[in-house]
Amino acid sequence: MKTSCSRWRWLLAPVATLAASVALAAPPAMLNLPDFDALAGKATESVNISLDTSLLGLAAGFLDSSNPDDAATKELIAGLKGIYVRSFTFGQDFAYPSAQVDQVRKQLAAPAWQRLVQVSNSRDRTHVDIYVSVDRGVANGLAIIASEPREFTIVNIVGSIDLAKLHRLEGKFGIPKLDLHPEGKDAKPDK
Amino acid sequence: MSENHAIRELERRLRAALEAVDPGEGFTPRLMARIAAEPALAARPPRAGAVAGWLTFGLAASVVLAVLIAHEWQVRRLEQGREARRQLIEALRVTDEKLNLAYRAVNSQERAASAEHSGA
Repeated sequence: MKTSCSRWRWLLAPVATLAASVALAAPPAMLNLPDFDALAGKATESVNISLDTSLLGLAAGFLDSSNPDDAATKELIAGLKGIYVRSFTFGQDFAYPSAQVDQVRKQLAAPAWQRLVQVSNSRDRTHVDIYVSVDRGVANGLAIIASEPREFTIVNIVGSIDLAKLHRLEGKFGIPKLDLHPEGKDAKPDK
Repeated sequence: MSENHAIRELERRLRAALEAVDPGEGFTPRLMARIAAEPALAARPPRAGAVAGWLTFGLAASVVLAVLIAHEWQVRRLEQGREARRQLIEALRVTDEKLNLAYRAVNSQERAASAEHSGA
């Protein structure tokens, strides 16, 4: 046994170096999302999307530039390196373990990540945290953690995304059109 | 009588035919040389026409296979592209939905704060 271990000892250094270089090669704004496979079985609805650079490029190739909506989407994703979404809906309140959500939250620490928004609505029991990844003063990633009684969602966007452009896509492709603008004289249209 | 004579004649001819004959001193080298020449005859290359036929068949089969593989690859690529597009739209939908959830929560907090402020 000892002999077989020592036989492979020479391999440890190059493997460790390779592993370190792979870790360094991963974009800093990319989160290490846990395996939520166990939750998918319990959830009534689940969304598991992992689009890396190559898949985003492939998807962009299937967007028709002559169509205004497709063109806008193409423009929106032009600077992106990845989109990762995990969303689970359950049949009863708080059926998901918070440990795995906390595991993701721990990665969103300063100075790499800065919390942009933290909102809690006690009436709806919803919590939403929005973080941006900043590298040398440039935002290069976005993370959203939204928890509701029967749903929790983690979104990780790697690369710079224009949220105003995303908002302009509302009502297109099935992205719900929500009338969220505050009523009254202080209302500011953002479109 | 004549029948007996015929039988005797046949026997004589048979004996003559089956009589052991010395093949001579050159028989063994001749036999060995002939055996050595046999594989060379067997290994003689096929005719040029047959080679050309097989080459044409092989080429045609390769072209058909290449076309089939290219078609299969294209079909898979098309499916992957459509699926990637669908996932992209779904990802953007979920992202926008959660941003709106945050917006709604911020908005309701602001309204509550302003109502409290005006009430005080």
